[in-house]
Amino acid sequence: MKETPNFTGWRATILHRPEAATERLTRQLRLLGFRVTVQWAPLDAVVLPDVVLVDADQGWDELLPWNGADAPLPVVALLGSEAPGRIAWLMEQGSCTIISKPVTASAVYPALVMAVSIYKERQAVRSRLQLLEERVRLRPLVHAAVQKIMEARQLDEEQAYKILRARAMQKRLPMEQVAASIVGGAEPLPEAG
Amino acid sequence: MDAVKIGILYSTTGPYGAMGRESRDGAEFAFEELRDTHGDLIQPVYIDPHGNIPEYLDGARSMLRDCGYRHIVGTITSLARKEVIPLVEKHDGLLWYMCPYEGFEANENVIYTGACPNQHLIPLFDYLLPRYGKRPYLVGANYVWGWEMNRLSRELINEAGGEILGERYLPFEETAVERIIDDIEQRRPSFVLSNLIGPASYAFLKAFKELGDRDPAFKPERCPVVSCDLTECELGEVGPGVAAGQLSAASYFDSLNSAENLAFKARITRHFGAGRRISNFFASAYSAVKMCGEAILAAGTDDPQTVRRRLSGAPLSTVHGDIRIDAETNHAALPFHLGRITADNGFEIIASRPAIAADPYLTGRRRRSAPKLRIVS
Repeated sequence: MKETPNFTGWRATILHRPEAATERLTRQLRLLGFRVTVQWAPLDAVVLPDVVLVDADQGWDELLPWNGADAPLPVVALLGSEAPGRIAWLMEQGSCTIISKPVTASAVYPALVMAVSIYKERQAVRSRLQLLEERVRLRPLVHAAVQKIMEARQLDEEQAYKILRARAMQKRLPMEQVAASIVGGAEPLPEAG
Repeated sequence: MDAVKIGILYSTTGPYGAMGRESRDGAEFAFEELRDTHGDLIQPVYIDPHGNIPEYLDGARSMLRDCGYRHIVGTITSLARKEVIPLVEKHDGLLWYMCPYEGFEANENVIYTGACPNQHLIPLFDYLLPRYGKRPYLVGANYVWGWEMNRLSRELINEAGGEILGERYLPFEETAVERIIDDIEQRRPSFVLSNLIGPASYAFLKAFKELGDRDPAFKPERCPVVSCDLTECELGEVGPGVAAGQLSAASYFDSLNSAENLAFKARITRHFGAGRRISNFFASAYSAVKMCGEAILAAGTDDPQTVRRRLSGAPLSTVHGDIRIDAETNHAALPFHLGRITADNGFEIIASRPAIAADPYLTGRRRRSAPKLRIVS
């Protein structure tokens, strides 16, 4: 860990009935620099905090205004139960980690650090996947552009591909985008070599 | 109020026995003073876990569960503290922990009167980097204290635009330090941060002295070994003059010239005779027992919540000066002193800062804007 995780100025919402257990959690989160709200009512979908901690023992679907995979922030589940149904529920809400109940002071910081890190990792994977899907979708265009260059310049496929790639690198654009311009005629055919 | 018993849990044998004996002496001295002023109302019960983790657990369990004590002053290592805390939580007691440690903890059931990194390592680096350079070599005990102190050091050095020239770990009782010394000799760091503990630390200091004798570039005035836990009580084990010139940070040194300390030292001399030099461990254990005992007496009960509330009120007068315990973190604000080891194994204080509030999670070191975690796509 290169940089000490620091939550100063972050906002956390605890979705839990206010009771002694949430007091300890609130105290510990404040020590870590969080501004804490405790509520036992659905989260406002518009004004979101930076992190949500939700009671997975008694939570219900409408508490969190999203479908699990699309959780727009790190979710930490507070769990005392071992019932498979509750474990499934917290995963469906997009939880990144669990803090066991009763909450011990030493469990809070590690869980928050981990939840934020896992959330960021999920985000990165998601956007990488989107990028790759887009590229796969546009692959026929690359093929078409290579064909066009082959015919126009009397080159073999490998040479034509190299020319296309060089042009993309030169323009600092994805190959798919350059290919689309060539196929559409918006881009003059690149010269060989 | 009936007589109240306070459990004392220090290991007087084992690799960090020197610190444990010193801590226990400090606690005993405090109990004697409490007895002189208040009779037998506050009584100590000593358990010596001999540096074995299972014995810490047995000791703490018997104090809390079987005997019903509410307060334990003790543990030196973070390993032992972390083992004992769940028991203290379970029985809603209060653990008084008074050693310098690596931070990242703030338990309701623990009072921390030892310094955490914003009270030792960060001011130490503030002092060292402009004077010696930003290219340290890190050595440490092979457990959480060494690891975490060195991790934070790396972060501080990176922020300062410096470079870590090496990072090595040794178990407490490992004394084969030659390869590390060879590596340091080749890499020629600006200074060496030692978070070593026990025999490994003593062997390292001896070997480093020999290196300095061979090559003046490694004399303490040019490349010091600095630490946040080496105190008067261990210099005897290192040997006379061996560590002279090296630096150590602490919230207390025997040579402190404050009115509180001069009065304290006069009492020490009356009790132990002249020549007894005490360390931060002695002074901190003494202060912890005094604070605990006096808070119980003032509250008229040893109920941990009541005692805790009393602590965070007015500043408490101790040998460290007036100490304030933060009601949120349960940590003491502590002064920073930097000592240079003298030829006769004392410390000459070369820099000081008044009490610094503890920031165990380092939340205040960088004011950061709130995170940008919204999905961008």
